[in-house]
Amino acid sequence: MAAPGARPAQTMIEFRDVHKYYGDYHALRGITATIRAGEFFSLLGPSGCGKTTLLRTIAGFEGISSGVVLIDGKDVAAVPANKRPTNMVFQSYAIFPHLTVEQNVGFGLRREGLSKEALAARVAEALEMVGLKGYGARAAHALSGGQRQRVALARALILKPKVLLLDEPLSALDKKMREQMQVELIRLQRQVGITFILVTHDQEEALVMSDRIAVMFEGEIAQLADPETLYRRPNSKKVADFIGTMNFLPASILSESDGQIEVEAKGFGRVTLAADQAPGAATGGEAMVGFRPETLTILFDGQQATDRETMATIEEVVYYGDMTYYDVKLDGMDSATRISMRNVFGRPVLDIGTRTRIAWSPGALVLFR
Amino acid sequence: MKFSGLRLYTILYLVFLYAPILLLPLFAFNDSKVIAFPLSGFTTAWFAEMWADTQLHNALKNSLIVASSAAILATTFGVFAARASTRFNFPYKAGIMGLVMLPLVLPEMIVAMALLIVLLAMGVNLSIFTIILGHVLICTPFAVAILSSAFQSLDKSLEEAAYDLGETPLSTFRLIILPLVMPGIVSSLLISFTISLDEFIIAFFLGGNQTTLSVYIFGQFRFPAKVPSIMALGTILVLLSIVLLSIAEFFRRRGLARSGTKDTGGFL
Amino acid sequence: MAQETRWGRFRRSEAASGYLLVSPTAAYAILLLAAPLAMIILYSVFRDGYLTVIPAFTFDNYVETWSSPIYRSVMIRSLSVSMAVTLVTVLLAYPVAYFVSFHVDPSRKSLWLFLITIPFWTSYLIRVFLWKVILGYNGVVNSALMSIGVIDEPLTWINYNIQAFVVTLAHAYAPFAILPIFVAMEKIDRSLLEAGQDLGESRLMTFWRVTLPLSMAGVVAAVLIVFIPVIGDYVTPNLIGGGKIPMIANMIENLMLVRDNKPLGSAIAVSAMLIVTVVSLIFVFLNRRFLGGTK
Repeated sequence: MAAPGARPAQTMIEFRDVHKYYGDYHALRGITATIRAGEFFSLLGPSGCGKTTLLRTIAGFEGISSGVVLIDGKDVAAVPANKRPTNMVFQSYAIFPHLTVEQNVGFGLRREGLSKEALAARVAEALEMVGLKGYGARAAHALSGGQRQRVALARALILKPKVLLLDEPLSALDKKMREQMQVELIRLQRQVGITFILVTHDQEEALVMSDRIAVMFEGEIAQLADPETLYRRPNSKKVADFIGTMNFLPASILSESDGQIEVEAKGFGRVTLAADQAPGAATGGEAMVGFRPETLTILFDGQQATDRETMATIEEVVYYGDMTYYDVKLDGMDSATRISMRNVFGRPVLDIGTRTRIAWSPGALVLFR
Repeated sequence: MKFSGLRLYTILYLVFLYAPILLLPLFAFNDSKVIAFPLSGFTTAWFAEMWADTQLHNALKNSLIVASSAAILATTFGVFAARASTRFNFPYKAGIMGLVMLPLVLPEMIVAMALLIVLLAMGVNLSIFTIILGHVLICTPFAVAILSSAFQSLDKSLEEAAYDLGETPLSTFRLIILPLVMPGIVSSLLISFTISLDEFIIAFFLGGNQTTLSVYIFGQFRFPAKVPSIMALGTILVLLSIVLLSIAEFFRRRGLARSGTKDTGGFL
Repeated sequence: MAQETRWGRFRRSEAASGYLLVSPTAAYAILLLAAPLAMIILYSVFRDGYLTVIPAFTFDNYVETWSSPIYRSVMIRSLSVSMAVTLVTVLLAYPVAYFVSFHVDPSRKSLWLFLITIPFWTSYLIRVFLWKVILGYNGVVNSALMSIGVIDEPLTWINYNIQAFVVTLAHAYAPFAILPIFVAMEKIDRSLLEAGQDLGESRLMTFWRVTLPLSMAGVVAAVLIVFIPVIGDYVTPNLIGGGKIPMIANMIENLMLVRDNKPLGSAIAVSAMLIVTVVSLIFVFLNRRFLGGTK
């Protein structure tokens, strides 16, 4: 991605073994990670995993119990929230209800001692950037959810922070609005080039928007990677389960030598996997191979498998309009496997009970052990 | 109407609530020394007689001093306690807040006597100052209740946002918190003022030879001839409370509109 | 990072900020409320030495409070007056709260509440006095009835007695009872009532099985908020009863100031607080036990 001759991406935020306790509760358990300058970074996880706490340690709203947080190379332990080069978009947006849109957006500029005209110009510029040109005089409580979100963004970005922190900013919006705002946030981030750190519990949102994602469970980062790696090569069953849908088949490892792993997978038989298909550390548990529903294809009359092929019986059909999900029982398996198929014009949706051929590819498998 | 029975009952109930008070203007303007039917004619003489009593002027002045001081002090204490209890957790919070709110569930006579004993034992001279001490005690719980709901409806992230945008805790309080709870502060001031103005027992026992309005009124009850002018005074007081209450209600609603919350009706 | 001291951690902690903020109010309450109450309790176990208090421990004041027929009858009178007032007020208030909460358009609720609260904020003394004027021997009721010829001589059973106390106090504390019940009713999720009817209950049974139990917390609050001040009322016995039918507050005043027996007065005050506490606790307990209401 980096242009030839460009410097390697600089580090904007660095966590070094960060721990946070609330009384006896261990909220952050040794977070070590770096966030690069100018990237769109997401903290993804279920509620209570510590993602918001981690975000608030960057903002300065939460102190840490041990470890170091560096912003742009500087230890911020002693820097209070109002002196940090970060600004936040709150989950509730925190629009000051007694002020107008203009006064909200210009709130943080009060201390810069700008002239009236300069202030108005900066505010107008910020409003235009978020698509709220001409809304300046509106009362804050007369805004819709999407407009509040934009005011919150303008108010934070007007201070040109090094890092913009977004705490589940889209969770209060309806589905259509959310999708629209996702696109706008990406556009905005490219335009201003500021590091964005997003907290979300919505895996789809994280995949759509982020350059890199840290998946968190119970106060720890389970995996930190770009969206594609996270989706295709999750390093644990837990991450695989949290992001999208994954099928699992019991497997036994037959042999392992120079980057080749021989596996016997129930329903698929004997397969050879490359070393990068087992990204996780060995846990000592039962070995499993996993694969995404869309990596399997139902073969219709005359179609040929490009790689491997197996027989199955359709047990359940769920029609989604553009997609159809089939739960099938692979021959030799007791439990169902999910397959998703894009619906193509002229091709029928199959009935329950149909016997069918399934095409699959060993390259799509991930080994968990 | 479908529930006309219930509506009729409620209206009758309101009549029961208002009937005695409606007698005030009726007999205040009635040209007779006796409070009895039938009415005898219209006069404004009782208002003149009421105002001619210079003791009333003194009592009124004392009451205004006491009620304003009590309202300001109780609201100040209320701001501290309400802010502390809605924003922070600390050990023994329930106990401390319980003590502050205790006068709500304590017969006033007991508060008055307990204070009186201590003040006498300390050799403090009774005056309007000692009345203020007592009134602050009984107004503070109301102030705390009103202000707590004002602070409660304040989203914590508003403060964090201001802090995040570079303000200090102090300027955050001035720019964000204070304007947003101001309606609560105004209604706390008005309600504390009204309570203090109306309070009798503490004013009676802790005032020494200083009289407030309520103590003055109580004294007048002994003289049957004074009853019509008390009716006149009562009429004025009722009008005054309605005005004060309407202002308080206005501020409460404006507070709700500002913070964008739904009106759940009524203060307290 | 340098090792923080315990004090340093405390100073920046939430608890410290909380204590700092609450301290002015708390200090005031401790000095002017807790300390005086402690003093009363202390006095109640001291001996009276006419015009002075002798700091010698004794239970005699309590023995006298609880064994003397005079004090006992005053206590019983106060208790029965305030129980009657509470019963009347809460029973009369419940339908009003119900009406305003369930049958008034939401936008007009605050207007109704405003109407209900106004009389409460008009001078308490004057309201009590008005009842004396209304119910008195030559009062409004008697003069009105006589002038239209319903009666020939004034009714006497309406004036200067316990019934008159109950009417006066029930009127005085009416809004006190309505507000907490109303607040509790407002919190009831309206879909619960629809669910009740959806599950086959009639309107009446839905009220009985859903609305009433859920509003019980408000009823408990109403009972306590009426019962407690009424038992300590001073003005009504004084004005309506002409001082001849004392209640606890009048008795305390008499002992403390007229007879200057502060230890005995304190013992009665402490006993009154105990009675109030015990009755309140019993009521809250009964409510929890039989109705499952929460406070």
